[in-house]
Amino acid sequence: MKTVVIGAGLAGLVAATRLAQEGADVVLATKGLGGLPTSQGTIDVWGYRDGKRVEAPLDAVAAAPAGHPYAAIGVGAVKDGLAWLAEHLPDWLTGDAAANVWLPTAVGALRPTCLCQPGMLAGAGATRVVIVGLARLKDFQAALIAGNLTRTGRVEARAITIDIPARSGEADSSALTYARAADEPGFAAHLAAAIAPSLGSGEAVGLPAILGLHTPGVGRDLADRLGHPVFEIPLPPPSVAGLRLNDALTTLAKAAGVRVILGSPVTGLKAEGDRVRSVTLASAGHDRDLVADVFVLATGGFETGALALDSYGTVTETALGLPVRVPDGDLIGADYWEAQPLFAAGCAVDVSMRVLDAGGAVVHPNLYAIGGVLAGAQRWKEKSGDGIAVGSAMKAVAAIMGGER
Amino acid sequence: MRELSTDVVVVGGGATGVGAARDAAMRGYSVVLVERADLGQGTTGRFHGLLHSGGRYVVSDPGSATECAAENAIVGRINADAVERTGGYFVTGPDDDPGFADKFLAGAATAGVPAKEIDVAEALRCEPRLNPGIRRAIEVQDGTVDGWQLVWGVARSAIGHGAKVLTYHRVTDIVVRNGAVEAVVCHDAKTGEDVRIACSFVINAGGPWSAQIARLAGCEDVEVIPGRGIMVAMSHRLVNRVINRCIYPADGDILVPVHTVSIIGTTDVRAEDPDHLEIPRKEVQQMLDAGEVLVPGFRTSRALHAWAGARPLVKDSRVSASDTRHMSRGMSVLDHAERDNLKGLLTITGGKLTTYRLMAEHIIDRMCEQLGDTRPCTTADEPVPGSESGHNYLVTHRLKDREAERAPGSGDVPTDPIICECELMTRSMFLDLFEQQPDAGFDDLRRQLRLGMGPCQGGFCALRATGLACDAGHADATAATNALRRFLTNRWIGLWPILYGDQVRQTALDYWILQGTLDVEHLPETEEVAS
Repeated sequence: MKTVVIGAGLAGLVAATRLAQEGADVVLATKGLGGLPTSQGTIDVWGYRDGKRVEAPLDAVAAAPAGHPYAAIGVGAVKDGLAWLAEHLPDWLTGDAAANVWLPTAVGALRPTCLCQPGMLAGAGATRVVIVGLARLKDFQAALIAGNLTRTGRVEARAITIDIPARSGEADSSALTYARAADEPGFAAHLAAAIAPSLGSGEAVGLPAILGLHTPGVGRDLADRLGHPVFEIPLPPPSVAGLRLNDALTTLAKAAGVRVILGSPVTGLKAEGDRVRSVTLASAGHDRDLVADVFVLATGGFETGALALDSYGTVTETALGLPVRVPDGDLIGADYWEAQPLFAAGCAVDVSMRVLDAGGAVVHPNLYAIGGVLAGAQRWKEKSGDGIAVGSAMKAVAAIMGGER
Repeated sequence: MRELSTDVVVVGGGATGVGAARDAAMRGYSVVLVERADLGQGTTGRFHGLLHSGGRYVVSDPGSATECAAENAIVGRINADAVERTGGYFVTGPDDDPGFADKFLAGAATAGVPAKEIDVAEALRCEPRLNPGIRRAIEVQDGTVDGWQLVWGVARSAIGHGAKVLTYHRVTDIVVRNGAVEAVVCHDAKTGEDVRIACSFVINAGGPWSAQIARLAGCEDVEVIPGRGIMVAMSHRLVNRVINRCIYPADGDILVPVHTVSIIGTTDVRAEDPDHLEIPRKEVQQMLDAGEVLVPGFRTSRALHAWAGARPLVKDSRVSASDTRHMSRGMSVLDHAERDNLKGLLTITGGKLTTYRLMAEHIIDRMCEQLGDTRPCTTADEPVPGSESGHNYLVTHRLKDREAERAPGSGDVPTDPIICECELMTRSMFLDLFEQQPDAGFDDLRRQLRLGMGPCQGGFCALRATGLACDAGHADATAATNALRRFLTNRWIGLWPILYGDQVRQTALDYWILQGTLDVEHLPETEEVAS
C-alpha cells in the first residue's frame, strides 16, 4: 500500500514510522522541520483540565468531552502510543503512563507531563535544589527559576551562575551551541569542576537542557562526578530536549524505510470521486503530484501555518483546503490568560481519524488527519498536544492497516 | 506628608507638560513636574509618530501649516536623537480628486511649506510598494519622531536646568487660598506617601485628563472631550517615507514608517473615558481598507500591534478666542484668572506633538506675563541631552551600534548579549536603564528601549528581561513574576484586536513557549493583574 504522510512533527513521524513498520510504502512530505524542536521534549498527555492539575492523565483522556480529539482517539490508542515511544526511544523517554510527574520549567513553575527524558527525572519531587545558570545562555535565568520554585512551597531552591563558554569568543550562545559543546568529551568534567564547590549535602542540581544533543549519558556522567542528582530543565526554542526526540524519531523513520521529502509544502489535492488520488507538492521548479492509496495530514495548527485566520476572520486549512470546525462566538478574547477559542479550531474527525465535513460526513475515505490540526483542544493550556499527536497517529495507522478505508 | 516648595508645578508628563517644564526651567523658574504614571504614557505615546512638514494643513489650516514647517526644523535640531528625516509624499489615489493636488501646491507656497510635485514614476521607483495607480505625487519634508525618546530628552533637559520630575505622582488636590493657587498635593504610587508641593503657579497639561485636574482647583465646568483615534503598526517598513493621501484630512489617510514598523492612522470617535479606549474591530478593518489604497497587499501584510490615543478637545464657551497672541493652532488655553477668578492656574490642551515646543513657549509667556516677569524663551536654541551632535537617527542605528561592539579591534570578546533580537536591545541597555529607574515596570522600560515591540511581541524577550531583573537584584522572584504577568497582559491589549494572518502564527508560537513549555500561567500568583 502506498501512503503519503504530510508533516514531520511528532504525529507525522510516529504515523510514518508505524506505517512503514507495518509494511506500507511511506513518503513523508514536509515543508520544514516539524514541531518537536520547538517543544519541551517530554510527552504530555493531559496536564490541566479546566485549570486544575491532572494526576492520572489516562483517566482524563477516558473522560474527554465530546468534540475533544481524545474523545475520538480513546485511551487505548494513547496508551499504545506511549508504550511504542518508550520502547523505541529508550535513551530519551521514561515514565509511567498512569501518572503525571511535575517538572521545573525555565521560569520556575512545576509543570505536569507524562513521559519525560531520563535526565529530567531527578527534578520531579526534588525538595532541595541548586539551579545552575550559565552566564552566556540568556534563556535560562537561574535566580528567577530558583525564586519561583521556592514560591511553589514544594521546593527549597537557590541559584548559582557559572561561566563556561560553549565556544571561545562568544558571549551569547544558544542552547544548541552548548549542547554540541557538551557532546564533546571533557565538557562534563569542566561543568563538574565549576559546580562542585558550591554544592551542599543533599542538594539536587538543576541545569538547562543542554547536556548533549546526541549523547544520552552526559547528565549521568555529571551526576557521578558531582555525587549529586542532576536534572535538566527544557528551554524555549531552540529546544535541545525537543531536538533529541526529533532526531531520534527521524532516524527511526528512515531506518523503517520512510522516504522523507524535506523542504516542499503540499499545496492541494486531486480527487477521483470521493477518494484522494494525489496531493500536490510545490517542489522547486515545478509542482509534483504524489499519488498514493492513503494520505495522512499531520501539518499542525496555527503555529505552523497549517491553519490560518485571514483579516476578514475566516479560518482555513492551508495545505488541502479541508473543512474546518470553528468554535461559535468570538474567536479571540480580551483576556490574555483565558483560553482563546481560535486555537480550538481545526479539522473534525471520526473515530478512524478521517476528516469530516460540517454535516459529519467523511470527506474523503482515504484521507486522515492527526495531531495539531485536529479541532477541539487547547493544547498549550491543557498540556495535551503530544498525547493527541501520538494517540491520533496510532489510531489512524490502526484504521489504515486494519483496512477501515 | 513630604513637603516641597517650588515656583511652578506642571501637571502632566506628556510632550506639552515636559515642554512647559523645560521652558520654565530654562527661564530660571524652579519647577516640579508631576505625572500620575510614566512619562509619555498618555496621548503623546499613542500617536502615529509623524513629525509634520505642515503639508497636512496647507489647505485646511494654513496657519498650522506654517507653524509646523518652522517647528519641524527646530524639533529636528533640538530633539535630533528622537527624529528620523524620512521625507514624505502626498499621493493622489486612483479614485481621489486630482484637483486637490493643485490646491495643495498653492496652499504650500502660501504657507511656506516646502513641497514639490514629482513624477509618479519617480515616486514609485523610490517607494516600490506604493499603489501603481496613484495619479500625482508631491514630495514634502515630513519626518518621524519617537514620542517617548522626545519626551525623555526634554525631561532630561528640564532636569539639567534644575527641574524635578516626579513620575507615578497623582495629583489629589490643588490647594487654593485667597483666590490663588497655593500648593499641589500628590500621592506617590510607588511609596504610598503623600507629597505637598507649595507653589505660586500651576500649569495644567493633563491633556484628556485636564478637566479632572482643573476640578481639583474648584474649576468645575471645564469640559474636555476625548477624541479617540486608533493606530495599527504593521511589521517592517512597507514604505520608507511618510505616505499621505493627497485629500482633505480623513480617517486612515497616513502611513508612517517609525523604527522597524509602519503605522497607519487614524480615526476620530468621541470617547467617554480617556482611561478606557477601545480598539474596535470595525475601525481596524477601516484602517486595513485605507492601507490597501496606499499599498496594495496591505491586508495580507503582517499587523503587529494596535493602540488608541485620546485627543483632548476642549469645549468651553469661555475660551478667550479673541486673544490669539498666546495661542498656537489647535491649542486651547483656559485662563482661570479670567474665567474662574483663580490666580496662578493655566490649563493648556490640544495641539500637535510637532508644535509641542511652541505651545510651551506660548503658555510660559502667558505665565510670565501674569507673574509680571520678562524672561525670554530660549528653548529653540539648545539641544536636549543626547541631541548635541545634531545627528538624526537612522532606522539602522541600533544595528550600527551592535556591529560596532562586535567589530574586530573593538576590544576584548563581546560580553553584552542581545536580549531582544527584534529591536536589538542588549543586556546592558536594559540593566543600565533599570539602574537609573528602579521603580520602572517593564512597560516603562519598553517605551524607552522598545523591549517586546517587534514581531515576537515579547514571546522570547519577556522571559529574559524578567530573569535579568531578578538576577541583577532589581526585583525578587515575586515582583519580577508580577512584572512579567503585567507585561504579557498589557501587550495583549494591543494584540488581540489585530490578530490575523502571520501574527496569529506568532501568537500561537508565543502561547506555546510561555504557556505550553514554561507554564507561566501556573506560577504562584501574588496579586491580581490589572489590565
